[in-house]
Amino acid sequence: MPTKIINRRLLVIICLCLLQTRVQAAEVTVQKNSASGLLTWTSKDDGFSIELIQLLPDFVRAVYDKHGLPADEVERIAGYCDFGTIIQNTSQQQLSYRVSDWRYIDKNGKAYPVKTKAQWLEEWRKAGITFAWTLLPGSGDFGVGDWQQGFTTIKIDRNEKFDLVYTWTLDGKKHQGKIENMSCAPASLPTSQTTQ
Amino acid sequence: MTMKTRYPFKSIATLLCCLLMFSAHAAERQQPKLGYNLTAISKPIPAPGFTLEDMDAKKFSLKDYRGKVVLLNFWATWCPPCRREMPSIERLYQHFKDKNFIVLALNQMEDGDQVFTYTAELEVAPTFPILFDKDSDVSRAYSVLGLPTTYLIDKKGNIRFRAIGGREFDHPEVEKQILQLIQE
Repeated sequence: MPTKIINRRLLVIICLCLLQTRVQAAEVTVQKNSASGLLTWTSKDDGFSIELIQLLPDFVRAVYDKHGLPADEVERIAGYCDFGTIIQNTSQQQLSYRVSDWRYIDKNGKAYPVKTKAQWLEEWRKAGITFAWTLLPGSGDFGVGDWQQGFTTIKIDRNEKFDLVYTWTLDGKKHQGKIENMSCAPASLPTSQTTQ
Repeated sequence: MTMKTRYPFKSIATLLCCLLMFSAHAAERQQPKLGYNLTAISKPIPAPGFTLEDMDAKKFSLKDYRGKVVLLNFWATWCPPCRREMPSIERLYQHFKDKNFIVLALNQMEDGDQVFTYTAELEVAPTFPILFDKDSDVSRAYSVLGLPTTYLIDKKGNIRFRAIGGREFDHPEVEKQILQLIQE
């Protein structure tokens, strides 16, 4: 087969692959809480919005302690970089997402999968924990107006910045968004802020 | 579950402080507006049956409500959108309770004390049955992935509509859909 035809076919395949995942030019806003200094990232993409709110480790400890998790498991999840997450279908069509497709990228450009709810539940099950809520569901098929919230957990050094790449499927087409330069909540708030 | 030593908080004050800080943080943010769209199930499927108890250990079975439209709400007291939508569910219930309509609110993995404390905080306490899905077995049968999730079940016992996330259930559009199911 002539090289020209092969190259043309290759070009068509590459174009098709690029069309499969539409990279969005998302509108990302970062909001700083005036009292706590904690940050919230909001990204509004085509038909999908995501909001990630920094969570203090002590808040995460309080949540899971209240739900009766053993101290070592409470400490383990509080050791992650945790975010309260709200995702919404803002389109007028069916939308789906899978957290297992999401990635976070460290300062060296290395991408890691975001830990899913199913992975947490499997670990909790082995530890004898039956509690199964509060984490962001690992997947969802959203109708018009559907939305969901829960915790997202990132395994990264608390002081390290990272980018989050998330995907969703709308009307059969896969979309991708990115929030750059994210950071974890501090290990604790300065004393002056916690006593105010 | 094996009960181990509880996490040793330095003080209750630290915990309260964290919760207050988070509440303030959350309050400062714009909470997602509660919508009113319900997703129609293209191929209605039979609603899985269940029998659960309420706070007074009275048993409720879904099959007892055949012939009525059932709004089945999966919720928990710690879930902010569940709390936000609850008053609208009560208003909806008041509107339709005499018209072959019932609300069954299935609390997930909490106990009577937690729910009692929560309902006491509400301006208008729910008058519909609140049932305890203590091990979330029913939520699993309904493939509920997150809270709140709500299903509308028709008089024949088929799931017809679904809502993931909080809604304003007494919105005229929702009431119209319920009325249509009641009149079928």
